[in-house]
Amino acid sequence: MENTEKNISLNPLKFRAKVFDQIASEDTGYSNYSYWRSTFRTFFKNKAVMVLVILIVAIIVMSFVYPIISDIDPNKVALKRKEWNQRPSWEHWFGTDTLGRDIWTRSWYGVRNSFLLAFCIALSDVGIGMIVGAIWGYNKKLDPIMIEIYNVITNIPSTVYLVLLAYIMNTSYLTLFISMASRGWIVEARFFRNRILSIRDSEYNMASRCLGTPMRRIATKNIIPHIISLIIMEAALCIPYSIGSEVFLGFVGVGLPVEAITLGNIVNQGRASFTLHPYQMLLPTIILCIITVAFYVIGNKFADASDPRNHV
Amino acid sequence: MGKYILKRTLNSILTVAIVFVAVFMLLRLMPLSGYFPQEMLKETDEATRMTYLRNQGLLDHPLVQLGRFVKNLFKGDLGRSLTVYPKVPISTLLKEKIPVTAAFGFASMLLGIVLGLSLGMLMVRYKDRWGDRLGTGYILAVRAIPSLIYLFFIQVWVSLWLNLPMVFDKDIPSSWILPVICLSLGSIAWYALWLRRFMVDEENKDYVKFALVKGLPKKEVWRRHIFKNAIIPLVIYLPSDLLFIISGSLVIETLYAIPGTGGLLTTAIKNQDNNLVQIIVLMYAVLSVLGVFLGDLLVAAVDPRITLTEDK
Amino acid sequence: MQNNGHIGPCIFSAKDVEIQFNLRGKTLTAVRKASLDLYEGETLAIVGESGSGKSVFTKSFIGMLDKNGSVTGGSLSYRGEEISKYTTEKEWLHIRGKKIAMVFQDPMTSLNPVRTIGEQITEVITWHFGTPHAQAKQEAIELLRKVGIQDAETRYKQYPHEFSGGMRQRVVIATAIACRPEILICDEPTTALDVTVQAQILNLIRELQREMKMTVVYITHDLGVVANVADWVAVMYAGQIVEYGTVREIFSEAVHPYTKALLQSMPQLGVKGHDLYSIQGTPPNLFKEIQGDAFAPRNPDAMEIDFEEEPPMFQVSDTHFAKTWLMHPYADEHRQELEKRAAQQKEQQKPAQPFQYEGAEKLLEVKALTVKFKLGDREFKAVDNVSFDIFKGETLSLVGESGSGKTTIGRAILRIYNKVDGSILFKGEKINGKIDRKKAKDLHMQMQMIFQDPMASLNERAKVDYIISEGLYNYHLFDNKEDRLAKVEKIMGEVGLSSDFSSRFPHEFSGGQRQRIGIARSLVMNPDFVVADEPISALDVSIRAQVINLLNKMKRERSLTYLFIAHDLSVVRFISDRIAVINKGRIVELAECEELFRHPLHPYTKALLSAVPYPDPDVERSKQLISYDPSMHDYSVDKPVWTEILPGHFILANQQELDAYRQEL
Repeated sequence: MENTEKNISLNPLKFRAKVFDQIASEDTGYSNYSYWRSTFRTFFKNKAVMVLVILIVAIIVMSFVYPIISDIDPNKVALKRKEWNQRPSWEHWFGTDTLGRDIWTRSWYGVRNSFLLAFCIALSDVGIGMIVGAIWGYNKKLDPIMIEIYNVITNIPSTVYLVLLAYIMNTSYLTLFISMASRGWIVEARFFRNRILSIRDSEYNMASRCLGTPMRRIATKNIIPHIISLIIMEAALCIPYSIGSEVFLGFVGVGLPVEAITLGNIVNQGRASFTLHPYQMLLPTIILCIITVAFYVIGNKFADASDPRNHV
Repeated sequence: MGKYILKRTLNSILTVAIVFVAVFMLLRLMPLSGYFPQEMLKETDEATRMTYLRNQGLLDHPLVQLGRFVKNLFKGDLGRSLTVYPKVPISTLLKEKIPVTAAFGFASMLLGIVLGLSLGMLMVRYKDRWGDRLGTGYILAVRAIPSLIYLFFIQVWVSLWLNLPMVFDKDIPSSWILPVICLSLGSIAWYALWLRRFMVDEENKDYVKFALVKGLPKKEVWRRHIFKNAIIPLVIYLPSDLLFIISGSLVIETLYAIPGTGGLLTTAIKNQDNNLVQIIVLMYAVLSVLGVFLGDLLVAAVDPRITLTEDK
Repeated sequence: MQNNGHIGPCIFSAKDVEIQFNLRGKTLTAVRKASLDLYEGETLAIVGESGSGKSVFTKSFIGMLDKNGSVTGGSLSYRGEEISKYTTEKEWLHIRGKKIAMVFQDPMTSLNPVRTIGEQITEVITWHFGTPHAQAKQEAIELLRKVGIQDAETRYKQYPHEFSGGMRQRVVIATAIACRPEILICDEPTTALDVTVQAQILNLIRELQREMKMTVVYITHDLGVVANVADWVAVMYAGQIVEYGTVREIFSEAVHPYTKALLQSMPQLGVKGHDLYSIQGTPPNLFKEIQGDAFAPRNPDAMEIDFEEEPPMFQVSDTHFAKTWLMHPYADEHRQELEKRAAQQKEQQKPAQPFQYEGAEKLLEVKALTVKFKLGDREFKAVDNVSFDIFKGETLSLVGESGSGKTTIGRAILRIYNKVDGSILFKGEKINGKIDRKKAKDLHMQMQMIFQDPMASLNERAKVDYIISEGLYNYHLFDNKEDRLAKVEKIMGEVGLSSDFSSRFPHEFSGGQRQRIGIARSLVMNPDFVVADEPISALDVSIRAQVINLLNKMKRERSLTYLFIAHDLSVVRFISDRIAVINKGRIVELAECEELFRHPLHPYTKALLSAVPYPDPDVERSKQLISYDPSMHDYSVDKPVWTEILPGHFILANQQELDAYRQEL
């Protein structure tokens, strides 16, 4: 502890009382903070995420626009042999398949159909899962029953379940949707149940109950704003899973009928002629991988970005 | 302890029963014509087919069939395959196929644990640096891309590149390599992902800081504290993994033509071989319930905080 | 440097240490040129609130800063060796744990839950000295005995979860002293513990220090602890040491405005019925460059120079230093002015009249309340047969240690836990169990709760405007939007928040501000009765007085009745009219505040009172601890009854004990 008086010239007049400023004393220095703004800022700060988001939006928009603007029939079979198995060219960007159908066109139809299917499954899984999870989380008596249901449904290996249901119900978009959606909800329900349980017992929620806040407003103000980022994340992660399942079912032979144009069918049909005409499988596969990887990354990065601990 | 085990056992039996009965009943919803291969449908007339079905007991009330099945099961009679391997006793079938699949499963499980844990540790060790990015990239690829796609490319390209056999032949030792690696890809990613996550969690805990403050070198703290504690939540899955080595992988066994159990269930379902399907589903249900049960016991043995006297 | 009043030689010296953290591209300066010397065999306490840098500063002594932080200036030397230059772990390891050891705040998390406590002690010994395992084990058992753990050989093989909080802290201390370190740094070693345990742990550390001739550094925010243990005190604010001196100098002759303000704002020094001295505002943001004296914006008596130039360290006496411009000769006039004012203020305050219980109206009656919780298959009683009344206009405090069931009682009254036995009457009507829906809703307009943790009790996704209006929305207590906003603005003004804050999210506020938002939310509907569940225990010392004053002011202005739940008896004494002491789910004693402090009867009350830290070194050092052992009651035949032993003084005792207590009176 040394006496370190500085030898600078000090003005004696400065040693007078100053008027106290109440506002300045409360200054915590935080900037104007908004949860969602910070989440999106953190999310888009990552360049790779930015690229993936643009890419995925472009692909999906393209897949919906292309069937409208193009007059090429994706199911048009070429009668002439020389139009079969053509390599990629100006006329056929991705080449043609064993029946002479244009793979470029089929790919876009496939993206649209597969994405729609996956999107519906994601919507139903997360939607039903969230509602059931909320009821489950709020009602302790349901716990043993729900856990048993969870055990039963998840005990059957997922592939077995998909094959069995898809087969029993003859394949169509609807049955594929039902068979996949009838399983996914319980996993989501359990996930949301755990989250809602911790919100339910949190002090701010208890405070709302003390204030006499009705259930409806507790749901819209206390619960949903806290799990909306999880909903988005879970929905994003559902999509690669659903697309993957569709490919798998096609491989097993219980997928959609061959006429249906989905990424799974295109890839599985391309696989058969892979050794001779690798482009038939390769190019649609690349699009499929871009979609699944992009959704996976976006889902995970969004989860990171929505965590307030990662906000500046 | 004894009470706990009894309670859990009864619960497990109930779960298995529900799963099994559900599947059993679902199978009875399938069309009768499914019991006959195409050629048999053409060659035989309606009456012969009905006699055949009656002889097999397939026309009885589902509950009667269920009763008969259970009775035989207690006698140790698993029944005979209907359509896939007509008239072959299922026990013989399983005795033949399980060892093959289990050998692959065991090898790949070991590989998965060893490589997965090593990768996980590497990722934590070089957190936010190249090791971590490499691992994250790998996990992303394995989890986001439909497995069928990368497994297919590995079979086609890696076998060419490393000059390995493309299909399994039990007389060629090198034909084991690719299937085993393929089988372990998923579990490597799984172990790495979770070990990393748990180790990062543990790393930030007070006791780790206290251990460092005690003057132990980082390496020791990692070994004695962080790694050990991070492994505990993973241990719960070991029994399941071990039991499920006999289930095999449908995709890999099909791709490499391995005569194992992997494709058995799918084939059986597609050919409506009810007897076979029932046994396999029963087997899976027992394995998975048993796996969870053993997992809980194992964790209780490793983690001193958990005692089996009360519900979790 | 000369040995200004120190007996032993200086063994550790930190000079002009600056520590910075990098948080996502922003630089936070946690310690700003702090200097400190440690002398052999002495006890130094570093006092400061959270964010003052006290913890970070001492962590740098053993090279344990978090990954994103580093010592960016100054020097640290241990016995003449420059240690701030250490780069490798190997260099640190011959000091860390061996020469300088550390004890953390929370014993519940300081030990690895899946390894036996024995192993965790033994590994230190074997690692530092290469002792064979068997011998190290013997030493570890010896250490366990030394820190007061009975049956050490069996305990050696047990896991942390088999120990209570206090016992775990003993184990942590045993681990820390395993290498006979020269310096022991205790980072808030008793904050997470109950008062009675706290006193025991402090005694243990004192004994060990004497025996092993250690230098002990306490890091704490609790001035009572400082008065109890320290020879020397360093006060830290915003990353700097602002005052340093012997414990008596700091407590009786403090010069720095921050130290003075801290001491004055202690509830023990408050006069009942008057405002506590309180420090305005919130601690500074360390991401920003701080100009002048960091405390100046919160100091109502600051001088102009305080905002412009950073003060140097002035020497007050041989042993006393203070970093404030007040010590500059130019400031003499200003200082005398302040002293004169302080003297005047002291004379003015007279304690308020105690609450008049004669003719007081009962607002709330709790009769034989029992709350049971299920833990797995077992059931335990969190609250066991508790009865008390609350009169209109009084403040009743419920005091107990953690797990005593005090919070549960509060929540049962507010119907958060509704499955309770017994009855609760509010304004003469039964309010527990199944009641009419509309009645339940109306009830919440009249009864409110203030929560403990200001971080957890505000909805992070809602703006302050909504949080405060929530009750207004629920009961449609406004005519139109303007009316609602006016009501929000009014209450924000009352709790001392600018109305500009209403469009912000809670995230932006400091703990004290958030607690004030919470109070505004509870009071906006004009309730009659408020349960305040430890409303200040999660706040920084400098903020507590603000909130205590606010609660008192609101009570006066709105004629509220409080049930105040707390563990800190000094606060309780200042704020309450009557006190109920609760232990293990049962209220053991209830009396008027001064009566309880003058004539505590129940042995648990006595133990609790004896353990309360008091911010005066002379009082602290002469105090006698009374320990409480529940097995002293023999309730096997003669059951305890809730009895009014004197008018207004209730006690839980059996007949035999009652006779003994009566004799005592």
